Formats: sequence, structure tokens, C-alpha cells
Amino acid sequence: MEFKKKELANGLCLIGEINKSAKSAAVGFFVKTGSRDETEQINGVSHYLEHMLFKGTEKLSALEVNKAFDRTGAQFNACTSEENTVFYAAVLPEYLVEVTKLWIELMRPALRNEDFNIEKSVIKEEIAMYKDLPSFDVMDRCRRLHFDGHPCGNSVLGSEKSVGNLTAEQMRDYFARRYAPNNMVLACAGNFDWDQICSVVEVPCGRWQQQVATRKLEDCGGSKKKERIEKSNLAREHICLMSAGVSAQDPRRFAASLLGIIVGDDVGSRFFWELVDKALAEAAAMQSVAMDGTGTFYSYIRCGSENVCKVLDTVRNIFDSLSKDGITEDELRKAKNKILSALVIKNELPMGRLVDLGSNWIYLEQYRTVEDDISAVKAVTIDDIHSLIEQFNPGDFTQLSIGPAG
Amino acid sequence: MAESFDKHVLNNGMVLLGEPMEAVESVAFGFMLPAGAALLPEGCCGAGSVIADWIFRGAGDKSSRQLGDALDGLGLVRGCSVGSSHIGIGVALEAGNLAEALELYADIILRPSLQEDQFELARQLAIDGVHSLDDDPRQKVMLKLREQFYPSPLGRSTVGEVAELEALMVETTRRIIKNNFNLSQTIFTVAGKYDFDAICGQMEKLFSRTKPAPGGAAVSVRDKAGKYTHIDDDSAQVHIALMTETVKPTDEDYYNARVAVSVLSGGMSARLFTEVREKRGLCYAIGARYHGLKEAAGIMCYAGTMPQKGQETLDVIIGEFNRLAEGISEEEIARAEVRLKSALILQSESSSSRAGAIGADYYMLGRVRSLDEIKNKIEQTTVDSVLGFLRNNKFKDFTVVTIGPKKVTVK
Repeated sequence: MEFKKKELANGLCLIGEINKSAKSAAVGFFVKTGSRDETEQINGVSHYLEHMLFKGTEKLSALEVNKAFDRTGAQFNACTSEENTVFYAAVLPEYLVEVTKLWIELMRPALRNEDFNIEKSVIKEEIAMYKDLPSFDVMDRCRRLHFDGHPCGNSVLGSEKSVGNLTAEQMRDYFARRYAPNNMVLACAGNFDWDQICSVVEVPCGRWQQQVATRKLEDCGGSKKKERIEKSNLAREHICLMSAGVSAQDPRRFAASLLGIIVGDDVGSRFFWELVDKALAEAAAMQSVAMDGTGTFYSYIRCGSENVCKVLDTVRNIFDSLSKDGITEDELRKAKNKILSALVIKNELPMGRLVDLGSNWIYLEQYRTVEDDISAVKAVTIDDIHSLIEQFNPGDFTQLSIGPAG
Repeated sequence: MAESFDKHVLNNGMVLLGEPMEAVESVAFGFMLPAGAALLPEGCCGAGSVIADWIFRGAGDKSSRQLGDALDGLGLVRGCSVGSSHIGIGVALEAGNLAEALELYADIILRPSLQEDQFELARQLAIDGVHSLDDDPRQKVMLKLREQFYPSPLGRSTVGEVAELEALMVETTRRIIKNNFNLSQTIFTVAGKYDFDAICGQMEKLFSRTKPAPGGAAVSVRDKAGKYTHIDDDSAQVHIALMTETVKPTDEDYYNARVAVSVLSGGMSARLFTEVREKRGLCYAIGARYHGLKEAAGIMCYAGTMPQKGQETLDVIIGEFNRLAEGISEEEIARAEVRLKSALILQSESSSSRAGAIGADYYMLGRVRSLDEIKNKIEQTTVDSVLGFLRNNKFKDFTVVTIGPKKVTVK
């Protein structure tokens, strides 16, 4: 593995980790923008804009873009979160240059009115689709309740109303402010030629104008409010719990991930043995989500209406015992083994490696090898976890449930 | 792409297959146990889900908790799923822990505790799983589609039926495990970093004590269910699923069928995405894929759209299926081929994908195809071969299922 880095005069950072033994290569633009960078009036614009990038440039129509990707056999897509918009592709090594050139072109889209109008229907369909997925809907609503006015509570998709009212002009303005070279990173991983990638990036990307792209960064302790929403067509109770956690810049993020595994991994965690194994809940998971300058622990639990009280009592007992008695060495050892094998397996694929490479640069401006992360996980002690529990008290949470009329 | 495969057959007929991979530190293994939904006795729909949970609730000399702790202690990334033909156990891990993991799985498969109190919990979770489908219309519509499309019992729900789960008895379920966990019909696969001689030695010790047993009777199929099924739901979208018959993986036209599906829905420039989403904005989620069992196969398609656009969406989709045989360009075939080949190679970097793929090949074809063979077969398809196939195998009937507030008309 060899790490390479280059920064253009306009602030665009190009990074790469070369693995000549890989059979593929992956490339991605990581743009530091998402729903937390939106105002209420333009809520949903980051995600909508992500769609619009595929609609082409002054020279390329949408169909030509799609054909160009498919000619390379790329497995490609994009995703938008509260704070990042990522455009990525995994290809055979011989196609990496072609697909990188294509992404570079698309980073300066035409944003045509007619495409904007057609895509609005697609976005509205996506909003409707997620309304039919209560496991997603409950998290979205709980995030808003927890962050309570903090921009991290903004919905990624936006609402039918905010998207409906959005204009192409507003999107162009947002694009000009946020898709600045100094607000994005281009990352490559796997089997590729660094000099060749640099040569295709430098000229076209060097023309992009630098902008002042800032972000409101403040931590959020969470509202700790409790709400329940009834929906007559639901069969199960969907419960989301959210509490304050560590940020992506915080060295304690590895300890936080381990705590998430100990409390709420799919199998073998405290949630698993107390809720799922005993058939009180059908699904119960907790994880640490580290964000820019803030973070959360969030849990998702699904159960029958008849079990809700018992489930919530059990959850309270789990968190009480966590605060009172802490965790055991054995729990920590198992959680480390789980995280370490998942880390190794994920990073064997260039696409998996790309995600960590890009994220570490976005949040830390730092290159971290897989071994760095492995050592950081191994170094976490039981005392680290205990002080995390003491400081963040994950039992003091915001709670939102969606379920059938009771 | 020089590859080699390992194969060894135990005395009792259990097949061990391996694919060594350079440049990985992980290993993945899997067991394909002939206990899929279609192989279960009548009236036991959902028993597979119960079994896939129950066998992990204690095995060998370990209690449920001890077993769970032992599996977690090895850092296994593990899953167990129920398909039409098999219960599939899949595990990925760091290569150094393989031998210890296999010891635990031998207990799970050969010596599960199967205690009565644990059965009740496993059954309750299986019932909950069926109820939860009501809150996931997309998954539900696809399960219902398979049920309606495949001749019974091939499409039987892999999740289960509440009434049958409620009636399921401990003894019946124990008997299913005894009869269906038949090692003579079980396929074990491993891919990644491993020593095949060491695995064979260990597997001989662990698994060859049971005697060969005759295979279960072939599935006898009955008629298909209805052509159109609608489930009323007050959902935001109408969820449309449809499926039409095509050739099986053993057919000589299999690769023509795969390329045809790729032209229809293999990428963002493929026809369904272009016509349904890009030009008309009818859907966010739209896609078709090949779905093959040993006994029958089809092309399945899903689309979710707001109720007032349901009919137009269905009509455009069926129009695109039928338009395929009218003509395909060289460029479309070239894109379809490169997409299929790339997907193949990208998946080949993952030990879990390879362990799954070699097992599926062996079950379907009786042998493992090399990546080169698949690549060559894809490259041999042409506009003429794909069109010839489509014209000789016209899409006749479409099985359609919808969930939502509004029905569609199936012409």
C-alpha cells in the first residue's frame, strides 16, 4: 500500500492509496455538504442536487452520461447524508481514468430547468418510498426531535413541500457556494496509476473557483424529548432512541464504536440477549454515529405493540446497569474481535477502502492506514469505555416511536 | 484470471468446495443445507425461519449463551438465511480462526440442543418476522410475487405463514431438522485464505461420522397461482412487482437471457431506467433482474410509484419487456456485456461472494464455472443471438402483484 497526496492551488485535495494486487480500483468525490448546510427554505437541496449531477453538463445529456458510465462497466452511485455528498465508482483498473474524467465533468453540471422539473417527480417518489418504510421514517423524525433546531436535525430528503417549492435558481446558488474545490476531496483506492490520475485531474479541476464554504459547527446535547406518532396502517411499533455521542474528530470514536457493539450489535450484544433472544423485540440495534463536530448514539428497536412497555423497561435496565456496573473485559474483547474482522474484510475491497480513505480526509485531513485503525481499536481500555458512559450517559435519550393506533 | 478450485467429497457424500484467493487475509465459508422453504412438509411454512434461529440456541455441550459468546469471541461476521432450496449458513472471518469456527458450526449442524423453551422463542421471532412484512411493502410484494409466479411449492414464502407457524410443533420441527440436514446433500464452500488439506482433514473428523443417506424426493410442483393479486394498503406508493418466465441456468440460452435482462435493466442507461424514470419521472426505484431456481426461472421487476401513476408505470414496463424482441443495438449489447463482466470481477474480490457463488454453481450445474468461462460465454453473445432467443421465447404471461391504495389493470 502506498499513499499519495496532492493539493491544487484552488484547494482541491487529491489523495490515493495504491494497492497493486487489487483486481479493481475505486474513485470518489467527497463533497463536504449535506442537509445540515441547508436552510429550511431549501431543505432537500443537497440530495436533489446529487440527483441533478447525473443529468449532464453543457456538453452531455443525461442519457449520454448514463451510457458513458455503463460503457465502463462501473458500479457507481452517489449518496447524500446530513453532512456529505459522495459520488463513487468501482471499476476494472483499465477504466479508472475514463470514469474519473466523467466524474470531473459532472462536477460542473448544467442544472437545466427541464431536467430539474422532471427530477422533482423522482425526488417526490423517493420521499413517498421512504414514508412506506417506517424503519427509516422513525430515524429521520427522531433525528429532528433530538437535534431540535440544530441543523443536524434537517431531513436529508426534505419534505414534499420544501422540495415542491425549491427552484432551479436556488439550487444553482447552493451549488456555486458548496461545490467549491476547497470543499471537496477526490480519492482513489486500489489498483491504479497515480501520475496518470493526477494528469487527468489537474487541468480541468484547476479551473474551478475557490469559495468560502463554511459550516456551522456546534455540539448538541439533544432535546431528550419523547414523542409517539400513530399511523393506522402499521403493524409493529418502531422505536428510535438517540443520545449525544462523540464527533468524527474525537479520538474516543473507537471506544464509542465498541460501546455501540457491546450494547447493540445485531447478535451477542446486551440488546440482543435481553430483547431479541427473549423474543421481546424482533430487532434491536445501537450504534455510534460520529459526525462533524458532534455525534450520537442511536438505537432502533422493532416490536409488537403488546411488548412496548416491557421493551422500554428492559432498555432502561440495560442502560442503568451500564452506568452502575460498567462492562466486562470479556464483552470488550468480543466487541474488539467483531470490529476488527469487519474492518479487515471491508478494507479488502477497493470500494470499502475508498470510503474510509475519503472520510478520514474529510473529517481529519489525515491519512490513516487500516493498521492505524486496528491499533486504535486494540488500544481501547475498559476505563475508556467507562468514562465514555459516565460522560455521555446513553440512557438519557430522545425517544420517538411510530406505531399502530393503540 | 487464472483460477483453481478445490474439491473433496466426504464418504457420506457431503461435498467440500474451495476457491483460494491471493491478497486477502480473510476467509469465508458456508453450508448449504437442503432445508429450504420448498422442501418443507405441507403445513410447515416458516419452519425454516424457526430452524435458522433455533439451531443457534445451544449446541454440543454449550448453552445458547455460551455458543453465542464463543461465536462472537472469534469475531465472526455471520448470517443464516432461508431460501427456496436451502438454509444457507454464511460466515466471514480472519483466516486464523477458521479451524475453531468450523468446530462450532459442526456442533450447530450436527448437535443442536433443540430445547423446547428455546423453540417457543424462535417461533415467536419467526411470527414477528411475518407481521413485520406489513411494514415493509417492498419486501412483501416481492415475496408474494415469487409465491404467485412459481408453481407451488417452489415460491413458498421463505419467511412463513402466521397460521402455520402457530400450529408448528416442536417434534415436527425436530424431525425436519433430522431429515433435511442430510449431509449427503449438503454443500460446504470456502473461499479466501485457507489450507484445503487441513480443512479436508478437519471436516472428515467433524462431519463424516454420519452415514450416507438417500436424497430427498425431488420437489413435485403444482399449478401456478393467480395472474394478478392486489393487497390493499394505505401506503404512500403503490408497490408493483411482476415476473415472467425465462430459461433456467442450465439452458443453453442462459447467457442470452442474462444479456437481455441487462439491456432491459442492467444500468442507468438501460431501458427501464431510461424510459420509466429518466424520461417520465414515474418512479424512484425501478429495476428488473434474473431470478433462477433449479426447476424454473423468471425475470422479476419492481417499481414503486404514487397511486395515480401506477397504471402508466405498469404499462410502460410491460411495453419495454415486449419491445426488447423488436430490436437491440450493437452498443446496447456491448454495454450489457461489459457491465456483466465487470460485476463478475468486482464480486470476485470478496471472499464471501466467491464462497456463495461456487456453492450456487455446484447446486445448479453440478460443477463450478471459472470466471473465464463465464466471461467467454458473455462475450459470445451477439445482437443476433440475443434477439433470436427473445423471438423464440416471447414473454407470454406476466404475473403481477401490487400493494397499495389503488389497483392496476393487467391486460
